[in-house]
Amino acid sequence: MEMLLSATISGLLMGMLFALVALGLAIIFGVMNIVNFAHGEFLMVGMYAAFLTATGLSIEPLLTLPVSAIICFILGIGSYYLLVRYLLRGPMLAQLLGTFGLMIFIRYLAMAIFGPDYKTLEQGLLIGKSIKWGPVVLSYSKLGTAVISVMAFGVIYWMINRTRLGMALKATALDVEAAGYMGINTEKMRGLAWGLGGATVGIAGALLTNFYYVFPTVGMLFVMIAFATVALGGFGSIKGAFIAGLIMGLIIDIGGTYVGPQFKFALIYLTFFLVIIFRPQGLFGW
Amino acid sequence: MKALKDALSFADLPASERIGFAIFIIFCLIFPWATKGSFAQAVMIQFLIFCLYGLGWNLIGGYGGQVALGQAKNVGMSAYTVALFMVWWDVPFWLSTPVGVIIATVESFILGYFLFRLKGHYFAIATICVSLVWQQLFVNWELIGGARGVELPLKETPNFVYMQFTSPIYYHYFAFLLVMAAILFMNWFRKSRLGYQLRAISSSEAVAESLGINIHWVKVKAYCITGVFAGMGGAFYAVYYNYIDPFSVMHLELSIMIALMTMIGGAGSMWGPIIGAMILIPMDRYLGAWLGAIGITGVDFMIYAFMVMIIAAYEPRGIWGIIEKARRKP
Repeated sequence: MEMLLSATISGLLMGMLFALVALGLAIIFGVMNIVNFAHGEFLMVGMYAAFLTATGLSIEPLLTLPVSAIICFILGIGSYYLLVRYLLRGPMLAQLLGTFGLMIFIRYLAMAIFGPDYKTLEQGLLIGKSIKWGPVVLSYSKLGTAVISVMAFGVIYWMINRTRLGMALKATALDVEAAGYMGINTEKMRGLAWGLGGATVGIAGALLTNFYYVFPTVGMLFVMIAFATVALGGFGSIKGAFIAGLIMGLIIDIGGTYVGPQFKFALIYLTFFLVIIFRPQGLFGW
Repeated sequence: MKALKDALSFADLPASERIGFAIFIIFCLIFPWATKGSFAQAVMIQFLIFCLYGLGWNLIGGYGGQVALGQAKNVGMSAYTVALFMVWWDVPFWLSTPVGVIIATVESFILGYFLFRLKGHYFAIATICVSLVWQQLFVNWELIGGARGVELPLKETPNFVYMQFTSPIYYHYFAFLLVMAAILFMNWFRKSRLGYQLRAISSSEAVAESLGINIHWVKVKAYCITGVFAGMGGAFYAVYYNYIDPFSVMHLELSIMIALMTMIGGAGSMWGPIIGAMILIPMDRYLGAWLGAIGITGVDFMIYAFMVMIIAAYEPRGIWGIIEKARRKP
């Protein structure tokens, strides 16, 4: 029972981070129906940005959040204007393998620059501390990550649903041509979607650096979780991404506790597989 | 009979393509005699194996337009079948290979039956997920060697029944035969009913369906054939290297490599996969060996990722598309 309780809490906390990772993917897919395979690599870039700033300037890791967000924002916009814009003209095979190429390119670039070693942060406000709450041990880093993730998620959700910019983004997602007739610069909106996708995952990366290893291939794992999350929530649905993120966190932690830690990611893929077979549109998809 | 004639007849191709094909055959036939370097021969055999994978993937990915990123699991299943049958029961290559290929094909059938309810991106991601499940299962499954892999026991003398030879020449010609069979099959395929149906699906599913094509069934059939190709390649891989592990035959990177290679050469064209393999495999091995020697890893992958991005953005039909464009101009 205690095991279940602590797995549930830790799963929910991780789930909030997964939701933030999946958010960017959901935005990009929602706006232009393209799956960004390089999303996990954006996360990795965010992690390295946070790690290098924190160790290089020896500042508090939480202060690196804006650095990662800005770097990944630029990375996202750059990918759109240099690559994705051209991919959208081609057939789906080209779109898929194009972002796939981007993913491999960024991953091996990081491998060539930083080497394959695992790195971790040792100093920080949240790192290495935990509170005991009855039988459950909560680490500060996971708690802080969850809180900031939910805040970031909330800001984006508010932005998309309540601001003019968000409305324009939504209009572009619903119908590009009609949005163009209404005077929306759809090209800019698509670029913005990539930028936002990058920025959110950059923040997630900076948070993740507080308690996870930094290495060049870290993206694969999280991007698969993110794919599963958006598939479960419904591609393009932001509300869905949040709830599905929590469910994914629970599956990983509870499943990992009871089935065996080496299979916990196989469980994620299995969930994804079942969802996609029995409910391809996801929980909140349309 | 008609099928055989179709497979053997290249009459509908332009003369330049027929000459190119003849040069390819002659090159492959004399290669082992013209070179002494064992590294060059190993690269050549790699090239032939990847031709086989690529020709198979081209069926579903190129002609069918369905991005299936899970070839490696079919390669792996067949390779593991051949290896484990030999380790456990001493079964010869010629008996275990059909079993391995059948296993790979049946897996493709079951998977295809369910997964082809999905389209486009969903399908691609689902195939990645499935391959990752298999990969993790194989890495953690102690009974079949786990992450350590399986080593095939060596016989005392060179042995045709177990496909164990001392000289790579035999492997070279066997791989070449497989590739030739695959090319002839593709030559039949592109003129066959199935080939036309698949291309119709690739250009527009709605139109194909309105013409009375059973989309789901055609895709599943094509996916199974792709599985057969990968299975053959895997079985050969196992006896050629005498050692397999989940990272060499089951890994997602292999699936990615196959897809990228075909895409660069020209997906959906007869010669695309061969051109892709011709460029990527020697580049991969020589560049990899050279860069590895001076301590840089991964640059080779960066180069083809870059090529794929350029090709996807500007000429989605790959190098073959560029060739065709140039040919049509004058």
